[in-house]
Amino acid sequence: MQKTGKQSMEKKLEKQYLVMVLPGFVIFTIGLIIPLLLAVRYSVTSWDGMSKVKEFVGIQNYINLWKDADFWSAWWFTIKFTIGNTIIQNVLALLFAMALDSGIKAQKLYRTAFFVPCLISSIIVGFIWLKMFSNVLPEFNEMLGTNINFLLFGSGSTVLSGLLIANNWQWIGYRMLIYLAGLQSVPFDLYEAAKVDGAGPISRFFKITIPMLAPAITICVVGIATGSLKVYDLLVASTKGGPGRASTSVINQTYTTAINGRQYGYGSAMSVTLVVVLLLVAMIQVKGLKSKEVQA
Amino acid sequence: MKMKLLCMILSTAMVAAVLSGCGNSEAEAPAATGTADEAEEQTEAPTAEEAETEQTEAPVADTGEPVTLTVLAGQSTTDAGIEDMIDEALAEAYPNITLEWECVDWGNDFQPKMQQYMQSGLPDIMIGKAQDVATYAPQGILGEIDTTYLDRGLDAARQNVTIDGKTYGLVYNALYQGVYYNKDMFAENGWSVPKTQEELQVIIDDCKAKGITPFASHMVDTWSIGNVTMQFAMNDVFNKDAEWGDKFRAGEVSFAEDEAMQTAYQYNKLIFDNTYPETFSTEQTDCDAKMVLGEAAMKVSGSWSIQNFLDIDESFNFGIFPFPNQTGDSKLIFEPNITIMTSAESEHQDAINCVLDVLTNDKDLAVEIYDYTKTAPMLKDVTPTFPNPSQEDIDAYASADQIVDVTLGNNQLVWGGFQEENAKDIAAWLQGDISFEDCLAASDARVGTSSAN
Repeated sequence: MQKTGKQSMEKKLEKQYLVMVLPGFVIFTIGLIIPLLLAVRYSVTSWDGMSKVKEFVGIQNYINLWKDADFWSAWWFTIKFTIGNTIIQNVLALLFAMALDSGIKAQKLYRTAFFVPCLISSIIVGFIWLKMFSNVLPEFNEMLGTNINFLLFGSGSTVLSGLLIANNWQWIGYRMLIYLAGLQSVPFDLYEAAKVDGAGPISRFFKITIPMLAPAITICVVGIATGSLKVYDLLVASTKGGPGRASTSVINQTYTTAINGRQYGYGSAMSVTLVVVLLLVAMIQVKGLKSKEVQA
Repeated sequence: MKMKLLCMILSTAMVAAVLSGCGNSEAEAPAATGTADEAEEQTEAPTAEEAETEQTEAPVADTGEPVTLTVLAGQSTTDAGIEDMIDEALAEAYPNITLEWECVDWGNDFQPKMQQYMQSGLPDIMIGKAQDVATYAPQGILGEIDTTYLDRGLDAARQNVTIDGKTYGLVYNALYQGVYYNKDMFAENGWSVPKTQEELQVIIDDCKAKGITPFASHMVDTWSIGNVTMQFAMNDVFNKDAEWGDKFRAGEVSFAEDEAMQTAYQYNKLIFDNTYPETFSTEQTDCDAKMVLGEAAMKVSGSWSIQNFLDIDESFNFGIFPFPNQTGDSKLIFEPNITIMTSAESEHQDAINCVLDVLTNDKDLAVEIYDYTKTAPMLKDVTPTFPNPSQEDIDAYASADQIVDVTLGNNQLVWGGFQEENAKDIAAWLQGDISFEDCLAASDARVGTSSAN
């Protein structure tokens, strides 16, 4: 009797699972899986995005990618942008979080001030920094009689720095909040015990703070890396991928190739490689960082 | 076991959904886009008599039946806002017709939007540039424009929107492109309009000696590099060989070997060496302001700058001349701009004709639009009233038959995917990131995307 009751309960639960999973599953399938599979399908064609004919070309598009200097140049910029962001954003966000966690006055004010930029659209952020570098900051040179080069978007050698400033200005506050939440959840007893054992501030930071923050680090590193690999809107509003091709990201290159260049099949091959790289990066990061996570 | 079964069912559902998605895209494609042959059949379906009847009857009288037409407007910087003027005029003439506008930037978004709509169904009316006709008409998706409305326009721009004897675009206004110059500054310094490179160099040298920047430019906008490069190419390449693009695709000429095309590219260096150092950080508005404020003597540009010039200083005295070429026979560039195209498959052809009627027949509306956009009319018997100091120059070049339609060059080497991409390489070369040879080689390697079809 008891067994029958348990079985019917299990059946009910299974039905519930199905009902609960189905809406998300359908949306996920229609919105992500189908477009992804279609992109894979188009990537083996020479479709121009307009005509009915989608001629099958096998892996020719992927072979062409290897020889495409613009594609590799876009990847090189994207990698530099990703590495720069991951390092700068994590380090500064952690430092700001620690500063706010140290009990300074007006903590809420600082927290809000740091967080506000991430509420702004990346398009707006791009415009803001374009104006800052082109019009606002150069005015300081005139006011102060200095000759600092603020025209960071105007040269291929400085455009990456300018974009890192803009991107980190926008997102550091957001990452800082994640780290702040992580810091506030570290039990104070651990620091007390370490102090008793004679551990100094640096030792406590590396042996307690960092390991205890590992889950937050995982979230931030994966989020920043995947976000940076997909950068597009910031570039469109600020540098438009220039000067020349100096700030053309992979997404940027994919879009202009597929849409403006009417090479939908070739552009799809570019997007498929990006998805593969994104998956690999996320998997490696999550696996590597998860292994370092500890529980209090 | 049951969980496994559940997983299998879900996976099967997913695969089925994927397959149906793939299948649908293919199945729906003919309906949405159609092959060229099918489209030809569709567009050619009406008999000559039927077509004639349609033409003479159009536009139909107001039936009172409310109709909403969708409009995709690929706008230039000068055009934003004209949709309200058209709505107002249409509401007066045909109150039952409403336009549902989708206004996008022509340079960045018109082509992507068209690609999207070619899959899902075109809007009733599309507004782009004359060069778009060459891209989309061969796909069989554009409707032929009724001669009733075409006849109200000037003949000058009809040639490049006509394919196989059928006209698919109604050109509404035009932009002129060349070197805008500060007339007062030229007069004060005793400079006359240069016709040769040597004469231009004399002005540049004198400018430098007097601390004046010879050229205002905004190379942060890659489109401006692409635009001036086509201006240069028109006078040094396409005016001499109208089929240069076809020969390029046939492998008979190349950027790496053609001296005339290389010269056209090199003019960018001439501008870059004689402009202010912050050109790669200067936007168009700031650039135009420098010109108006007398910080620069000349600017290679188009009529789109007039709006800014006059907004900054209504009394700014400017003229225009074609950028001198190697042979001293440059022509002023003329670009058919607002070009109205219609969907071949629209169910509201009568209503579309009503809109064309308002656009071509309402002269007050036309003058309002030309005055607002500061552009040249392409309708007969319509004269804009905005002050345009460069008009006397344009008239002089027109009377001397020294004007050429840039659509020729834009059809030979398309903008999207080719000119636009080449401009990025030119920028990289000017910045010293790549060599001139690499820049030319990159253009050659892009041959596959140089044609619209």
